[in-house]
Amino acid sequence: MTVETRIPYPAQVAGLTVLALALCGVSAAVGYVPFDLGAALFDLLAGRPTLPALVLAELRLPRALLGLLVGFSLGLTGAAMQGWLRNPLAEPGLVGVSSSAALGAVIVFYGGLSAGASLALPLGGMAGAAAAAVLLNLMAARGAGTTVLVIGGIAINSLAGAATALALNLAPNPYAALEIVFWLMGSLADRGTGQLWLVLPPMLAGWALCLSGARALDALTLGEDAARSLGFDLVALRVRLIAGAALAVGSAVSVTGAVGFVGLVAPHLMRPLAGARPGRLLLLAGLAGASLTLAADIAVRLLPTRPELKLGVVTALIGAPFLIVLIARLRREEA
Amino acid sequence: MRPLRFGLAAALLLIAGGPAAAWEAPPGKPARIVSLNLCADELLLRLVGAERIASVTWLARDPRSSTVAALAAGIPVNRGLAEEILPLRPDLIVAGRYTTRVAVGLLTRLGAPVLELDVPQTVEGVAEQIRGLARAVGEPDRGEALIAGLLARLDALPPAPPGPRPTAVVVRPNGFVAGSGSLVDELLARAGLENRADRLPLGSQGALPLEAIVLGGADLLIVDAAPDSPPSLAGTLLDHPALAALGRRVRGVSIPSRLWTCPGPQIAEAAERLAAAREALP
Repeated sequence: MTVETRIPYPAQVAGLTVLALALCGVSAAVGYVPFDLGAALFDLLAGRPTLPALVLAELRLPRALLGLLVGFSLGLTGAAMQGWLRNPLAEPGLVGVSSSAALGAVIVFYGGLSAGASLALPLGGMAGAAAAAVLLNLMAARGAGTTVLVIGGIAINSLAGAATALALNLAPNPYAALEIVFWLMGSLADRGTGQLWLVLPPMLAGWALCLSGARALDALTLGEDAARSLGFDLVALRVRLIAGAALAVGSAVSVTGAVGFVGLVAPHLMRPLAGARPGRLLLLAGLAGASLTLAADIAVRLLPTRPELKLGVVTALIGAPFLIVLIARLRREEA
Repeated sequence: MRPLRFGLAAALLLIAGGPAAAWEAPPGKPARIVSLNLCADELLLRLVGAERIASVTWLARDPRSSTVAALAAGIPVNRGLAEEILPLRPDLIVAGRYTTRVAVGLLTRLGAPVLELDVPQTVEGVAEQIRGLARAVGEPDRGEALIAGLLARLDALPPAPPGPRPTAVVVRPNGFVAGSGSLVDELLARAGLENRADRLPLGSQGALPLEAIVLGGADLLIVDAAPDSPPSLAGTLLDHPALAALGRRVRGVSIPSRLWTCPGPQIAEAAERLAAAREALP
């Protein structure tokens, strides 16, 4: 199944980067109200405070850029977790890292902690994501099979979902419980520049940590002993990837809710390109995740539903059939 | 359980939405009144002495959502469950027409005297509702005094200068706007403002994306806010930088939601604040 393609790796990265940036531009151009993007951009660059410039700067651009960042984070961590656990079903959404991050963010947000210090919100998300990643690591430390991982993921997912519902019901705002859909399905609607700047630094740090494990992940395909004999410190790798996933997914989920399946689909789509090099897969899966998320977010605005569909609905509509196909293929391979 | 002694049930079992004039005054004044709705709390606490109210909703005690929090201080609270209400053996239950439907259905089946308040969309409707409830609790004079006070304050609003009126859009949590035909719409008109909602790019129905509100081009941005309320995503939307920037560009004013969520005498203050905001426009 590992078919090395003829396209060289730098060209793959460049092509996917162009695709993600183009979708980012489309996302800024697509909206609900007819909108002259060129004129708005001109006003914005000229510093004229017109209404279209305001919409572009405070609504359209933050949404498009957050789609890019969140999608990249999910795709990258999906690829990192699949390489690290050597399991094709490892993914922040399926194994409960995203829902635990949502729980952390919900506790911080509705408990009023983020009103005092806005950084508390991504910190809450990161704490939740880190807790799930550590738990997962304990379960799968000795190369646990798919079954253990999936059952563990189900357990973490349902526990985090239930605890999120509980936290929302206990929240002092009587209407908070109605907002669970946002935290479980995710959305980029009406996000703003504040959230963008808030999550950018931890996300970049998380990306750097994940990408720094690329060579060790490549070595890990030969088995843990071989990787160790090649001089890679696997404990350090685990710590780096757990911290990276917690930083990237935790901060992403804290501003958009848990968007599922991107971390599953993106690495699998890119695997034929990367071949048997999970290290190379990281960057490709990140860019593919960004493109998928942006495309899904464009779709929710083009579909004639109001209020718009949650982002996770669209990613699940694409991702769940994909998961079924994947399981069928895994069974064929195991047979 | 002892059969509920609701002697007044037949007289008081009012048909929802029936004209206020058909409401019968009870032979004696009800003395163990229970309210299942914040808007009912607001009116009851103003019409009736605390000793005759057996229970109000838990929201009534919260000064962020209620304008009668001080009056509600000593009164037991309920969360709209039938089992909380029955042991109080109320002789009048006031509920909202669209809230706590399960409890109201159960209480009605058990023969409790339930009075359902509608959600009036005009000032006239607000006055009728106050009049009807005042009669049902045996305090028609206090009801007339409340109505007279409300109408006097609305009549005393500064008149709008001739010419086209400034336009306003009212944004509520989750991006809902107040459309035409609503009570807020009438308050805007009485304050000398024109509601922009129906001329927004996507109309005024449902939760609107912020860009539709920003590009709508109103002269006055009115945020239906509770600045000190506990956090919610719906409320955070009102702090969005795009709205803040719009509020600096046109003019932004914040009206606490407790002043016009419920149809009661407190809407006069909302109208006064709106009129003051209009007068402050350049």
